[in-house]
Amino acid sequence: MDPQPEPVSYICGDCGMENTLKPGDVIQCRECGYRILYKKRTRRSKLQFR
Amino acid sequence: MVLNHDPSQQPMNGNGGNKVPDDSGFDQRILTAPVKSAVDKFQLLPEFLKVRGLVKQHLDSFNFFVKTEIKKIVRANNLIRASRHPHIYLRFLNVKIRKPSIVDESVTDEVTPQTCRLSDQTYAAPICVDVEYTHGSRDDPRLHRRLNVEIGRMPIMLRSCCCVLYGRDEAELAKLGECPLDPGGYFVIKGTEKVILIQEQLSKNRIIIETDKKGNIAASVTSSTEKIKTKTVIVVENEKFWLHLNQFPKKVPLMVVMKAMGMESDQEVTQMVGRDPRYSYLLLASFEECRKCNVYTQEQALEYLDKMVKRSMYSSNSAEKESRAFSVLRDVFLANVPVDGDNFRTKCIYVAVMMRRIMDAILNKDAMDDKDYVGNKRLELSGQLVSLLFEDLFKSMTTEVKNLTDKMLDKPDKAKNFDISTLLNRTQNIITLGLERTLSTGNFEIKRFRMERKGMTQVLQRLSFIGAMGHMTRVSPQFEKSRKVSGPRALQPSQWGMLCPCDTPEGEACGLVKNLALMTHVTTDEEEAPLISMCYSLGVEDLELLSAEELHTPDSFLVILNGLILGKHRKPLRFANAIRKLRRVGKIGEFVSVFVHNKQHCVYLASDGGRVCRPLVIADKGVSRIKEHHMKELMDGVRTFDDFLRDGLLEYLDVNEENNTLIALYEGDATPETTHIEIEPFTILGVIAGLIPYPHHNQSPRNTYQCAMGKQAMGNIAFNQLRRNDSLLYLLVYPQRPLLTTKTIELVGYDKLGAGQNATVAVMSYSGYDIEDAIVMNKASLDRGFGRCIVMKKYSAVIQKHSNDTSDRILRPNRAADTAGRMRVLDDDGIAAPGEILKPFDIYINKQSPIDTRTPKASAANLPDSAYRSNAQSFKGHGGEVVDRVVLCSDKDKNMCIKFLIRHTRRPELGDKFSSRHGQKGVCGTIVPQEDFPFSEKGICPDLIMNPHGFPSRMTVGKMIELLGGKAGVSCGRFHYGSAFGERSGHADKVEAISETLVSKGFSYSGKDFIYSGITGCPLQAYIFMGPIYYQKLKHMVLDKMHARGSGPRVMLTRQPTEGRARNGGLRVGEMERDCLIAYGASMLIYERLMLSSDPFEVQVCTACGLLGYYNHKLKTGICSYCKNGDKISTMKLPYACKLMIQELQSMNIVPRLKLADA
Repeated sequence: MDPQPEPVSYICGDCGMENTLKPGDVIQCRECGYRILYKKRTRRSKLQFR
Repeated sequence: MVLNHDPSQQPMNGNGGNKVPDDSGFDQRILTAPVKSAVDKFQLLPEFLKVRGLVKQHLDSFNFFVKTEIKKIVRANNLIRASRHPHIYLRFLNVKIRKPSIVDESVTDEVTPQTCRLSDQTYAAPICVDVEYTHGSRDDPRLHRRLNVEIGRMPIMLRSCCCVLYGRDEAELAKLGECPLDPGGYFVIKGTEKVILIQEQLSKNRIIIETDKKGNIAASVTSSTEKIKTKTVIVVENEKFWLHLNQFPKKVPLMVVMKAMGMESDQEVTQMVGRDPRYSYLLLASFEECRKCNVYTQEQALEYLDKMVKRSMYSSNSAEKESRAFSVLRDVFLANVPVDGDNFRTKCIYVAVMMRRIMDAILNKDAMDDKDYVGNKRLELSGQLVSLLFEDLFKSMTTEVKNLTDKMLDKPDKAKNFDISTLLNRTQNIITLGLERTLSTGNFEIKRFRMERKGMTQVLQRLSFIGAMGHMTRVSPQFEKSRKVSGPRALQPSQWGMLCPCDTPEGEACGLVKNLALMTHVTTDEEEAPLISMCYSLGVEDLELLSAEELHTPDSFLVILNGLILGKHRKPLRFANAIRKLRRVGKIGEFVSVFVHNKQHCVYLASDGGRVCRPLVIADKGVSRIKEHHMKELMDGVRTFDDFLRDGLLEYLDVNEENNTLIALYEGDATPETTHIEIEPFTILGVIAGLIPYPHHNQSPRNTYQCAMGKQAMGNIAFNQLRRNDSLLYLLVYPQRPLLTTKTIELVGYDKLGAGQNATVAVMSYSGYDIEDAIVMNKASLDRGFGRCIVMKKYSAVIQKHSNDTSDRILRPNRAADTAGRMRVLDDDGIAAPGEILKPFDIYINKQSPIDTRTPKASAANLPDSAYRSNAQSFKGHGGEVVDRVVLCSDKDKNMCIKFLIRHTRRPELGDKFSSRHGQKGVCGTIVPQEDFPFSEKGICPDLIMNPHGFPSRMTVGKMIELLGGKAGVSCGRFHYGSAFGERSGHADKVEAISETLVSKGFSYSGKDFIYSGITGCPLQAYIFMGPIYYQKLKHMVLDKMHARGSGPRVMLTRQPTEGRARNGGLRVGEMERDCLIAYGASMLIYERLMLSSDPFEVQVCTACGLLGYYNHKLKTGICSYCKNGDKISTMKLPYACKLMIQELQSMNIVPRLKLADA
C-alpha cells in the first residue's frame, strides 16, 4: 500500500468549486452550500496521445 | 418553380419572414404565391399554444385549485373549537401557498425542480395560513393573530403559478437547469416525476336514460354535492315506475315517493309530466300500484316508506321528530336538487322531468342517452383530485388539532398557558406526508368521499420527448376494462376535435385510453350564482312560480343549469342567443355553454368543470369574423389569442353546444347557415398523431400503430438530458429533424428534440434477409453513425447508517491484493472514477457494512476491520460501458447516497428494431458493406433497403409521399410539409408540386431512380423508388433481450430451471411444442427435454403398496416405510415435480399409488 492516499476532490454542481470530503462529512459545497457534488473525471487515460 | 406555400413563414420563428425582404432582393416565392381568398388562420394555432401550452389543462386545473379551491376548502372548515372549553378556538383567516422550498436543519432554501430531481426530494411548497385564536382563561380570553403559520407542504406542479418556473423565459429556464420545451404539468415526488392521469367519468348531476340489466328503461342521476354522493335510479318495470335508492333495500313505487314529497294529487303529477294522453296512459299502472299500497296522503306515504328504509342506518337519529324516510328523501334522494325547508316542489318537478324523459324513451327509442357520447362525460384533472385529497387531509388535521386541544385543556397544569396555534406545527405531517404518499403511490383512498382508486399517478415516461408529451394528454377511463362491449371502445363522432382519433393503445385498453387533441381545453368550475340570476333576468320563469300545468306548454323550453332545473323560457332560441352574445363580449365566462335541445324541449346551460371544449372561429351568416387585418395585427404582435376571444372573433364550444352549430371546415365551404369555421382541420389529431406526415393518406390502423411506436423511439429527451439522472435513458447520438415535417411538429418542438434520422431508403428486394419487414442496412451508414444510440443506466449505493450508530464505510481499494483487477476503476476514495471503461464484474464501489447492525456498540465510530464484511457492488453488464457521472448527495435520512450513471454506446446490430413514421416496423435483417449496396447514377447509395412487400397490404401511401417529399426537400433545400388534411390550406405539399420539383432537379417525377447493382455492377432491370424517409430507432434492442442457457439456476421447490432472462432461466418446451413431438413420435427427445434436462429424480417405489419409499444409505437398499421392508422395492426415474405432487397429495389425504409394469 502506498502510504500517501491521494485526496479525491469533488466538484460542486452549482458553482463548480472543488471540495474534498472526509468520511462522515456532510455532502455540501463549502463555497455555495449546494448539496450535490460530482466526482472529477479520471486522469488515468487508456489512450496515449503523442 | 411554382409553389403556393411560403416556407419561410414558419410559425415558431415569430419574425414573420415574409414581411422583410432580404438584401438579395425579393423573395420569389412570395411574389408568385397566389392571392389567398380566405384568411389564413393558421397563425392562431401557435398563438393558442403560446397562451395555453400543450398541457394547459393540467396547469389551469392546478392553478384553479391553488388560487380558488384551496381557499374555499379552508373557509368551509375554518373553525376549530375545543369541545369542553368553547372559549378556546382557532379560526383560519386566509391560506396561501408560498414559494417551493426545502427545509434542512431549520434552514429554508428555495429549490428548483431540477435540484429535487437530482437529490430525490419532493418539489413542494409550504401551505401557510393566517390564524386568529384565543388564549388564556375562560373569563379573560385574549384574541391573538398569527400570520403565515405553516400547516404542511403541498407538492407543486411544475410550471403552475406557484412554481419557480412560472413565467420564465428560455434563458432563465436554462439557468435553473430546466428544458424550455418541457411542458410541465407533473409533480416531482421524491425525485421521480409523477403525472396524475386525466380521468374520464360520466357526468355528475345529469339525467341519463339507459337500459338496465333486465332491459328495462331507467333514468339515473349520480348526485354529487359537497356533502354527499348518491345515485338515484328510476326504472320502469312491469309498466310501473319504481325508485331504486341505496337507502331502500327493495325498489319503491315512485308514486308513493311523490306522495311522500307532498304531491298528493295524481292529477297534478299527470300535469307535471305533460298532458299528452300517451303519457297519462303510461302513468296509469303506477297510480294503481300506489293505491294497492293503500297510500293516499303524505303521512301514509311517509309511514309506508319508513318501513322500507334500511334499519341499520340512522339508528341514532330515530329519536328525532322527523321520520327517517323524510330525511332520506331530503338528503339522499336526488341530493343535487336543493330542498328549501320542507318544500319538495323542485324535487317533484325534477322527478316529473325524469319520468317524462323515460316515457319519451318508451314511445321513441331515439330518446335514449348514449353513455359514450363525449358530451355526457367529464374529465377529472389533477387539480380536482389534489383538492379532494387536500380537503380530506385538512379535515383530518383539524380534527387532530381539536383532539390534541381537548387533551391539553384537560390537564390543569398545561391549560393555563395553552397556545392552540402551536399545535399546528405538530400536525404538519398529516398533510405533508398524506399528499406525498398518495401522489407517489397513486392510490387515492379517501374514506370521506368513499373514493378508492388505484394507479391514478404514473411515473412520467421519459423514453422520448414526445412520449412525455403524450403521457400528459392521456385520458384514462374509470370503469373496468374486461367488459366485452364495443360501445365504449368505438370511435365516437362527438370525439371530433376533442380527442385524437388515432392515438389509442392496441390490445386490452384499445379505445378506452384516449388522448386529447391539439386544441382541446378542459374547463374548470365556474361560479353558478351570477349565472342563475342572469338567467332569471333574461326571462327565465322561476320554477316556483309555475303551476304543474304550465311546466310543459308546447313552445316553451325548460332551462337547466348544470343539471338543475331553473325554470322555463318561452323563447329559447332568443334566450340562447342572448347568452351567447353575453359570452362573446366577455360578460360571462368564456367556457359557459348553452345548448338548445329541440327534442327534449330543454335549454342546457353548463358551467361545471371537466367539460372538453375547443376554440372555433365565429361566422355570421357564413362570413368569418376574422378578417385579414386581424391576422396582420396578430403577426405584428399587437393582438393576442385572448384578444380574439375578447373581441368575439373566436369562442370555445363544448361538445353539447357543437350540436347547435354548423361548422365549416374551410372558409370557402361556408354557406349562409354556417355559424362557425374550423381554425385548422389537423387539430383533430393529438400531439403524437401530429408527427405523422400525410396521415390522411394512410390506412387508419397504421396511424394508430405509429402512435404507439412514436413513444418508444429513441432521440433527444430534453435539452437538459445529460444533466438529469433517470434510472434508464435512451438517447440517439445524432438525432435529426425530419425532412418532411408537419405543422404540429413545429408547434410541439419535435424539430428541436427529434427522435430519428433521415435515412435514404431504397424500396427493393435484396438478399432475402429482408423478408417479413426486415431491413437491410448499409454498414458504412452505421459507421457514419446511423442509428447509434446511448443507453444510460443508473446504479446507486447508499452508505447506510444503522440503528446501533454503526455505519457502512467506503474503503480505499487494496490494489496489492486485487490481482483480478476488479478494483481497477476505483479511485482512492473507493468510488469508480468517471470516464473509466467497465468490464463485467468490476467493482464500482468498495463498500463495507458492519456485520452486526443491531446491538449497541460503545465505539461505534471506530470498529475494527474484522467487524466489517465486504458489501462491494460489482457491475453486471456487457462490457465496454463507461462510467459517465458519479453524483454524491444525501438522501432524506441524511445518508450519503452515491449515484453512478453508466453509459453504453451501441451501434445497430442484427435484430434491432426500427420503424418509419407510418406504423411500419421492422428489424435489422442483415448488414451489408457499402461495396455491395446498390447505387444510383448520381452515386447515391441508400442507407437501408426496404422490401416492397411492405406496401400493398399496409396501404401506407403516406410513406411513399414522404419519400417523394423528402427527396424533393433535400434536392431543393426546403423542408417540405405533410400536415394532416393540409393540401387545401397549404400545410402539406401536393404530390404534383413535389414531382415538379423533382423533375427540375433532374430526378424522375415518380421518385424512381436508375440503379446499378452493387454486386455485379450491372444496371438493375427496374427503376427503384428511392429517397429519404425519417426512421426511428425503437428501444427494443437485441442486446437487452438475447438469452441462452445451458445449465443454470433452478427453483428450490420444484428443482426445475428458473424462468425468465433476468434469472438466467431455461427455455421452455411448452405444451404446444410437446404436442408436436408427441405427434411426431420422438419419445426419447420428449424424455430428454421434459425430464433429463429439467428435474430428473430417482425414487424408490414399493411395488407391493405402490407408495414411495426411501433409500437407506447404511443398508444400501431401498425401504418402503409403509410395508416396513425393502422386499419389493424398485428404483425408477421420475420428474422431481411429480414426486412433489405425489407427496403433496398425500398430505391432503389422497393416496396416489404407482403401479409398475415391465416395459
